[in-house]
Amino acid sequence: MDSSPQPPPTSPRDPSKLFHQKDSLRRSIVAVYWTVIVLSIPLWWTTTSIQRLSLPFNGVREQAYRTLELPISICLDTTDSTFRKEVADLLARKVAENSSRWAGTAPSVKSITECAGTNDFYTIKNHNSSPYIDGRQLYFPLEEPNASSQLVDALASLLVPYTTSADPDRRVAQYSSRYRLAFSLLNEDATTGDGVMRWKVQEGLRAHIKPILKRLHALHNFTIESQVQFHAPLAFSPRQIEEVYAISPEDLTVFINSAEWTLSSSSSNDPVLHLVLFIPSSTRRPLHILTKDESISPSNAFIRPQWGGIIIHTPTSLTSTNELPSKDLDIIFATFASQLLGLLGVPQLPSTVQRAPSDLKASFSDWQLDALLRRRTLENAAGSQDTLLSIVKLVNQLEGMPVHEDVRDDVENALSFLTKMYDTSHSSLRQTFEFSARSFNLASRAFSNPGLLALLYFPTEHKYAVYTPLFATSGLPLFFAALREVKRWKESRLAKHKKA
Amino acid sequence: MWTSGRIAHILLLCSPIFALSAERFDETLSINTLQDGKVSSKFTFTTLLKGASPRNPKTLDEEDESQLYTVFPLGLGQILREYAVTELHLSLNTGRWNYDRWGYPEETGVGTGAELWAWMGDGAIRTVDERWKGLRNALAGLFCTSLGSMDDLRTTSPEKTFVPEGSLPNWDAPHQIRHASLPSENVCTENLTPFLKLLPCKSLSGIATLLNPHKLFDADWHGMSVHVLWRGDEGVEVRLTFQSVSDPLRSAVTRKQDWSFESLFGRTIDRPCPVAETSEVSVTLPINAMYTIQPEPARVENNLAKFDVKEISEPLLVRMIWPRPFSYPQTYHSEATPFSVRRTLKGSSQAWGQLSLVIENHRPTSMRAMYLETMPWLLQFHLHTLQARIDGVLQDKIISNVQYMPSVPHSRPTTLQAILTLPPDTSVHITMDVTKAFLRYTEFQPDAQRGWDLPPAIITPLEDHDNYTIPSYSEKRMYTANLLVEQATPDFSMPYNVIIFTCSLIAFIFGSIFNILTRNFVLVKVD
Repeated sequence: MDSSPQPPPTSPRDPSKLFHQKDSLRRSIVAVYWTVIVLSIPLWWTTTSIQRLSLPFNGVREQAYRTLELPISICLDTTDSTFRKEVADLLARKVAENSSRWAGTAPSVKSITECAGTNDFYTIKNHNSSPYIDGRQLYFPLEEPNASSQLVDALASLLVPYTTSADPDRRVAQYSSRYRLAFSLLNEDATTGDGVMRWKVQEGLRAHIKPILKRLHALHNFTIESQVQFHAPLAFSPRQIEEVYAISPEDLTVFINSAEWTLSSSSSNDPVLHLVLFIPSSTRRPLHILTKDESISPSNAFIRPQWGGIIIHTPTSLTSTNELPSKDLDIIFATFASQLLGLLGVPQLPSTVQRAPSDLKASFSDWQLDALLRRRTLENAAGSQDTLLSIVKLVNQLEGMPVHEDVRDDVENALSFLTKMYDTSHSSLRQTFEFSARSFNLASRAFSNPGLLALLYFPTEHKYAVYTPLFATSGLPLFFAALREVKRWKESRLAKHKKA
Repeated sequence: MWTSGRIAHILLLCSPIFALSAERFDETLSINTLQDGKVSSKFTFTTLLKGASPRNPKTLDEEDESQLYTVFPLGLGQILREYAVTELHLSLNTGRWNYDRWGYPEETGVGTGAELWAWMGDGAIRTVDERWKGLRNALAGLFCTSLGSMDDLRTTSPEKTFVPEGSLPNWDAPHQIRHASLPSENVCTENLTPFLKLLPCKSLSGIATLLNPHKLFDADWHGMSVHVLWRGDEGVEVRLTFQSVSDPLRSAVTRKQDWSFESLFGRTIDRPCPVAETSEVSVTLPINAMYTIQPEPARVENNLAKFDVKEISEPLLVRMIWPRPFSYPQTYHSEATPFSVRRTLKGSSQAWGQLSLVIENHRPTSMRAMYLETMPWLLQFHLHTLQARIDGVLQDKIISNVQYMPSVPHSRPTTLQAILTLPPDTSVHITMDVTKAFLRYTEFQPDAQRGWDLPPAIITPLEDHDNYTIPSYSEKRMYTANLLVEQATPDFSMPYNVIIFTCSLIAFIFGSIFNILTRNFVLVKVD
């Protein structure tokens, strides 16, 4: 058999001589990968991190544990310094006895000369008959026996009228710089005849409500609205007792039939105070309220705490156009006015003190307004401090909570108003109140900022769950390739050294 | 200086005092027998706030006047003043209005789903768009609807088709329109309840007693609407309407179209609403047919039998009895609807589709009509393919005056407006190619597999042939049916599995390539 000669076996090419097997090329490939990764880390960091601006934590803590003390200067217009000393001692004892009632106030008794340079003080003048007030002056029989303790009692009920016993069911609405006042005339069923079809609401407002709102201008702004409903059924049937119909105290708790009465307003977030005039249907007249001991209550009006006031009214005689007679309108709006005062926290004057005729022009006295201002200032300050402290605590606790400029600005402004409030607390009550209200509003706004909740539902664990399958599996080869190249580079250097 | 504007301003401030003295409430119910034996009924409740005027948006930063109303709905009034809305139209409908059989509806807005359009004055610190957003959210809250989702994706400004029904005050800044429709909105009891609460007598007395959700939502077609407009010489008018088309033949054994309040609404009018100025039930009497109507109407005018609800002494139960069974007509014709429209979307693929519109002019004269499409961006038009054909032959004189505002992906919808010239007694086929867009993961709505409802097209006849023009042609808008488009939908049920699977795949491919790139080959001698 003839066989061709075998070709000589070619020696295989050395792979290290190939272009793509060059050490430098391989090293640069690995280096490029690592450079890209390292360079992209900042980008990844900025795109995935949450904006968390730093909040003034120390400032908040510092302000939050301060307590506000509103000074009350009482000037005794008497030359008798021992009497003044006596009153001061008695007052100090009174404050010490009931410190919770006097909390936040710092009353001081001064002589008329000491008061001359200051503003916002109360003057007490001698007057030999029953006590009365005029402006910020109190006329009091100072020369009677036992005058000092009587005076201190009167001062206590004028300056700090808010006691837990005076407002047991917390009927005073929470502070808001703006309220909506909704006046509703509700006919239980106007089709049965003798319904009240219209009322001169403008007149009632002008006579009774507007003066109050004007007086409260420093504290709140108001939006007024009114409506008439012709079908406002009750959710229960009143009990019939002989000739009259009556609502038991249990039924009174479900008197407001929110499902059927369209009372709530829909276009703003301002709290609403409802003032409701309820006209029972002609088949259920007269309608009365029962007291706890099953007797008919003399009053037909009641307050639902922090919600509003209700008057149940049986019209006596209607005009031909079925309008509410002006006599009734007057009584009803006067009742609405007193309900409104109660809801807004305007205190009542003690029964022992009268108002001077010249003072009656305003719907309530300066003493009452000041007491309300002090109460609201203390409430707002405490509210603002609490809220600010809660925000910073919350933000510190939750790492994933974003803090944007608006929240930070609100917190900082609230804090600065709080500081300003403390600075002015000794000079002007109005200013102090103003700052406290602004601070409270800003703090509440910051707390309810929707931006705070943005990423809470996408926690960090979530992120890793997505990243691990990608980064772990593709990161390992990269890591080991780099390790191998470093090792080889070291070996080659060692070899070179040996050669040399 | 006393400029006229200042005087007007002072007059404006005084207006609530006049407004208080005069509010008027009227209610009517009109019942109509349709060609196919169905019965259409329309409730209208009109409240007029005399002497009032819409809020000028320039005064939005000032304290508003008190809103003291007697019969005017306070809940709606608050919204109108808060957002300074001059004119507002909201309609919520279920079912498709059959123009060919039922003729033209009494209330124009019959597009399926929700439709909201409003005219608002410009020039305020809060822009029209901000107020539009607030308005739809407030109305969504008031009527328990999902109007809040009428966002920028669905908002357009077709001012030619939706001309104001009332008048617009002459303020310094112009008025602007915002329109949006939400075809997938369902209408049910939860929308009717707040609607009834806006009525002074709710559904407890007067004509509104008949608004019984059990019967109304059982009707073949039903829709409610709210209209607010300003009549310059009278005041602000709020008109609440409820239309329904019920089928008396559905349950009739005798094939007769007899109806009564009891069969249509399941109720009777027991007592009049004490505050209604007028309260009237009017029944259109058939021509050339035998019928009996009970009770005896108070009066008959222009073939309308009228009943005065204010005068009733016993419960009012109107009924109509037909001695003969009903026979369906061979053809339907309507004077009020000059043409019929069909719109379809062809093509099942993601990439290509075709929008097709067939308009048939029934009249022996040539007609012009305004064609309006307001399409969300997820269906994108190829405008160059817009073609009109008659019997398959391309016609280039049919489509004219095209106004086109292209969509912006992920935000603005398309607005296409054109004037169509329709030759007599022919049907015109209009086609246009469309592409379906890819949506982002977060852009899908709940129930994504169902597809997207697309808003109806609106055709408005322009009756300006033979030398006479009807200026307020907005009265005659015709809505086509909705369309449903299917999008490529991701598998929402297992996003983690998908993510992890994809990551593993990428890691595998990357690892292999990287290994090959950096592998070190060495010679190994095998002896």
